[in-house]
Amino acid sequence: MSFLLGTVLLAVVTAMACALPGVFVVLRRNSMLVDAISHAVLPGIVVGYFFTRSLDSPLLILGAALAGLVVVLGSEYLSRTGLLTGDAPQGLIFPALFSAGVIMVTLNFANVHLDTHAVLVGDLNLAAFHQLQIGGVLAGPSYLYVMLAVLVVNGVFLAVCYRRLKISTFDPGFARSLGLRPGALNTAFMFLVSVTVTAAFHAAGAILVIALVVVPPATAYLLTGRLPMMIGLTLAIAAGGALAGFWLAYLADAATSAGMAVFYGLVFAAVFTATRLRQRLRARRESAPAAAA
Amino acid sequence: MPLADDGGPAARVTNLSVAYRTTPVLRRVDLDVPRGVVMGVVGPNGAGKSSLIKAMLGLVPPLAGEVEFFGRPLAKVRRRVGYMPQSATVDWDFPTTVRDVVTMGTYGGLGWFRRPGRPEHERAEEAMAQTGIDALAGRQIGELSGGQRQRVFLARALVQAPDLYFMDEPFQGVDAKSQQAIVAVLHLLREQGRTVVIVHHDLATVRDYCDHVTLLNQRVIASGPVAEAFTKEHIRSAYEVAAGDDFLEFTA
Repeated sequence: MSFLLGTVLLAVVTAMACALPGVFVVLRRNSMLVDAISHAVLPGIVVGYFFTRSLDSPLLILGAALAGLVVVLGSEYLSRTGLLTGDAPQGLIFPALFSAGVIMVTLNFANVHLDTHAVLVGDLNLAAFHQLQIGGVLAGPSYLYVMLAVLVVNGVFLAVCYRRLKISTFDPGFARSLGLRPGALNTAFMFLVSVTVTAAFHAAGAILVIALVVVPPATAYLLTGRLPMMIGLTLAIAAGGALAGFWLAYLADAATSAGMAVFYGLVFAAVFTATRLRQRLRARRESAPAAAA
Repeated sequence: MPLADDGGPAARVTNLSVAYRTTPVLRRVDLDVPRGVVMGVVGPNGAGKSSLIKAMLGLVPPLAGEVEFFGRPLAKVRRRVGYMPQSATVDWDFPTTVRDVVTMGTYGGLGWFRRPGRPEHERAEEAMAQTGIDALAGRQIGELSGGQRQRVFLARALVQAPDLYFMDEPFQGVDAKSQQAIVAVLHLLREQGRTVVIVHHDLATVRDYCDHVTLLNQRVIASGPVAEAFTKEHIRSAYEVAAGDDFLEFTA
């Protein structure tokens, strides 16, 4: 596999792995929680590196994802106490964790080599640098297989828990009255989001992961009123946007994640404008006969 | 379903107290819901009507007290108890259809891996016909009126086919046509020997819809057949209004 093809595939698989759980993140109105998670996992990554000495290690990813879960459960706990309102709890927890990570990186703890630029927006080309060899044949970046595994895990989780996720997102009270446990499901789901965000960290960094998770499903949400359709469109937009964004970044010699995020933003803006125009046209058409009468 | 239970009340609440954070909402509530009745839970705003049924269903944690359904704890008889939340508590922009929401009533019996099959879909169609929303089956739920939304929720509760229904303000924001449709279903359920508990806020219609009533204001003021419990004195005491106030004309 050529380096270019491997890197393109990595971009597409990463985008799809992030966008798939993003569907429920958007429907649960937890979009900014993803941002909090993607910052909070930094100290987890540094500490994980201390033990595993490899940034691709699944152990590091799982360990660092626990740090993301600290934000989720911690801010839920703080909200429940009723002493803080809105999303203030998130804002209290993740900067502290992220800063701890930044200080650890600065102090060269564990000799982890992460420069500020990579922490912020990731570096897909660097992530794709380590190639997997099978029987002397280059099989593409080994990181591609990590993201592929994350995509498969996300797909299986969504397939198995689809109805439970749907019902506990739409109507948690009813779900609980059925004896389902939306709280436990939420924790499992947010852990998976955290794993995904951690795994995508090399590709998109702390700041741009949220674009990969949230923008494709938010765009799909404007286009359809059916959940299965929304999931399909989300995957299509994620994959298409990854290809286009990769090409954009390639031409501009910019960070791939930035190219992808910009392209997603453009697609969203276009869909949003079209939706607004259609709404306005329909409103005018409906009011026109009434005005004439 | 043939029942091996004690033949006692559909629900029995003993010494139930509930607080939200530090504010007490319900104090030492004792209540029996007899079988085969439509019971209205009535009281002023903040009386704890919704909290009562939520606490009974384990949706808010009680400070103290016990609740039994058909003589057993909820976990053992969950399939026999249905719940219709207030429609304002859910996200009506959620990307789904009327048919899909109604089918959610079958999820409790499906477990992890079984998908709703033909019997589940037939039950959903039947419930939509019964509540008069079959023509809306393919609609996105955000397009519905308030009354239609309540009927979607009612249909979902019917699909559960429980012996005891809890409905939180089923007449909230409902037009006359939907109101009639809902009342017809309530009375049909009673004829079938089911038990229905509704949180209700319109005193004028209590006599038409309910045969038992519980007047609530943080504690139970009165509970029993409408003729005995729904008296002027009890209503005054629940609503904390002075004698001579003419807002109670219709109860005479």
